[in-house]
Amino acid sequence: MDTSVIIQIVVSGAFMGLVYALVAYGFQLTFATSKTINFGQGELVMLSAFFSLTLTRLGAPYWLMVPGGLLFGALLGLFVERAAVRLALEQKSEGWILLTIILGLLGFSSAENIWGRDDHPFPTPISSDPIHVVGVDITPLEISVAVGVLGIMGLIELFKRRTLLGKAFEAVSADRDAAELMGISSTRTVMLSYALSGAVAALAGILVAPITTVGPTMASALILKAFSVAVVAGLESGFGVVVVGLFLGGLENLASLYLGSGWREAPGLLLLILALALRPNGIFGKASIRKV
Amino acid sequence: MLKVENLHAGYGGAEVLNGVNLEVKAGTVVALIGANGAGKTTTMRAISGMVRPSKGRVLVEDLPVEGLAASRIARLGLAHSPEGRKVFGPLSVEDNLLLGAYRHLPHFLGFRSKAAADLKKVYDLFPRLEERREQLSGTLSGGEQQMLAIGRALMAQPKVVLLDEPSMGLAPVIVQEVFSIIRRLKEAGITLLLVEQFAKSALEVADYAYVMERGKIAVAGTPEELRKDERVLAAYLG
Repeated sequence: MDTSVIIQIVVSGAFMGLVYALVAYGFQLTFATSKTINFGQGELVMLSAFFSLTLTRLGAPYWLMVPGGLLFGALLGLFVERAAVRLALEQKSEGWILLTIILGLLGFSSAENIWGRDDHPFPTPISSDPIHVVGVDITPLEISVAVGVLGIMGLIELFKRRTLLGKAFEAVSADRDAAELMGISSTRTVMLSYALSGAVAALAGILVAPITTVGPTMASALILKAFSVAVVAGLESGFGVVVVGLFLGGLENLASLYLGSGWREAPGLLLLILALALRPNGIFGKASIRKV
Repeated sequence: MLKVENLHAGYGGAEVLNGVNLEVKAGTVVALIGANGAGKTTTMRAISGMVRPSKGRVLVEDLPVEGLAASRIARLGLAHSPEGRKVFGPLSVEDNLLLGAYRHLPHFLGFRSKAAADLKKVYDLFPRLEERREQLSGTLSGGEQQMLAIGRALMAQPKVVLLDEPSMGLAPVIVQEVFSIIRRLKEAGITLLLVEQFAKSALEVADYAYVMERGKIAVAGTPEELRKDERVLAAYLG
C-alpha cells in the first residue's frame, strides 16, 4: 500500500486519539484530588453534547454554545461529586464506584427520554474540507480538535502551576490532611476537580460531535478507550495521556485498515491488558511508594 | 489564647483522650510531655480538627472551634506543624511556604508579591530554605523538611502554633538546631504549644509544661516546679 495513504490514516487517527486523551485527562483531574474517578464520564460527554446541540438549535452562535456547553458539563460534574462521591469519601467507602456507574445509567436513560435514540448531526461552522499540508490532508475540523484539546489542557496546567488555588489543588493531591492544616478545604478542592473534569468532558463532546454525530451511545466506545489511555499513561501525567492518546488513535486506524474495521477496538483493549500486566502504574506514572 | 477543656477524642470507638485540660497564654511557650502513647499527638490532632473530639471544648481566642473542619480552624489562625512533618513532597520549597500563607493570600494572582515580606522573614530564620527554594521538598533532608514544616506554619501569621515532635528522627546536632529555632520563636513572641520526646530540652525553653499520662494531664507546672517533682524526675527527666 502507498505510504502516503498509511500516513494519512495514522494522522487522522491521531486527531481522534487527542479526544481520548482529553477524556482521560478528566479522569486524572478527579483522581488527583480524591482518588476517585467518575465511571459515568462517558454519559457526561454525551449529555453535554446533547445540551450543546440544543443550544445550537435554539439559535446560539458557536462562540456562545461552547462556553454554555462547558458550563453545563461543569455543573454535571459538581452534581456527580455531590450525589455519588462526597458521602462515600466521608465514610471512607468504595461506594462511589457503584454510585457513579448508576448515575451514568440514569444519564443514559434521561438522554433517551429527552432527545430520543436517534443519532443527530451536529452543525458546526468549522469546515471539513481538507487542506493539503506536507502531503497529508487535514481538515479544519481536525485542527479545531487539536487546538481545543491542547488549549484546555494547557490552560488547566497553567492554572495549577501559576495560581495559588492551583498549587492548593496540587497540595491536596499530595497530602489531603496537611493541605487541610494550611486552611485548604479538601471538600472544595474535590468539587473544583469534578467541575473541571466535567467541563473537560463537555469539550470532548463538543469537539467530537461533528465527527461522530450526537446520540445516546456516542461515547460508549470513546470512554473505554479513554480509560485505556488513562491506565496505560498512568493517572498522573497530563503529557503522558497526550502521547498515549495520539499513539492509540493512530494504531486503531492501522488495525482497522489491515485487519478490518471490526478490529478497531482491539488495540485499546490490548494496550490496557498489557499495561495492567506489565506496568500497573502506567508508562508515565511513578511507582507508588506507600509511606508508613 | 488557646484553651482546652475536658477534651475527649479517640479513633473508631477506642478513646485515647479522657478529659484533657490545658491552656496556652498569648506569647508563651507551653510544653506537652509524656510517654509514647499517652495521647500527646492525639491532643494536638483534636485541637486542630484532624480528629473530631467526642466531648469537650477547644477555644482559640475565646472562640469555640471544636467540631469544625481542620481547614476552618486553620483559617482562624491556628497553625499545626504535624508529626512526621508532612511537607508537600512534589512541590517546591517556596510553593510549600506560599501554601502555608494560604489563609491570607489572594488565591489567583499577585500572591507572590503579597507574601514577599513573610517569605523574607522565614528565609532569614532558615537561610538554607532560601538556598533550596526551587528544590522539590521531597528531596530535602529530614532536618531541612522540619525547618520547612515550621516555616510553613509561620507563614500563616498564626495566632498560635502547634509543633508536634519537631525533633523526631533527626540527628542530635540537628535537634539542637531545632531547639535554638524554638528559642528564637519564643523571643519573637510567638505563642507555641510544643509536644516533645526530649523532655529536658523542652522544659528548658518552656514557660509552662503539662505531663500527660494515659489520656489525661497528670502533672502541670512551671519547669522549675516539674524539675522538683520526684515522679516527673524519675519518669521523664532521669
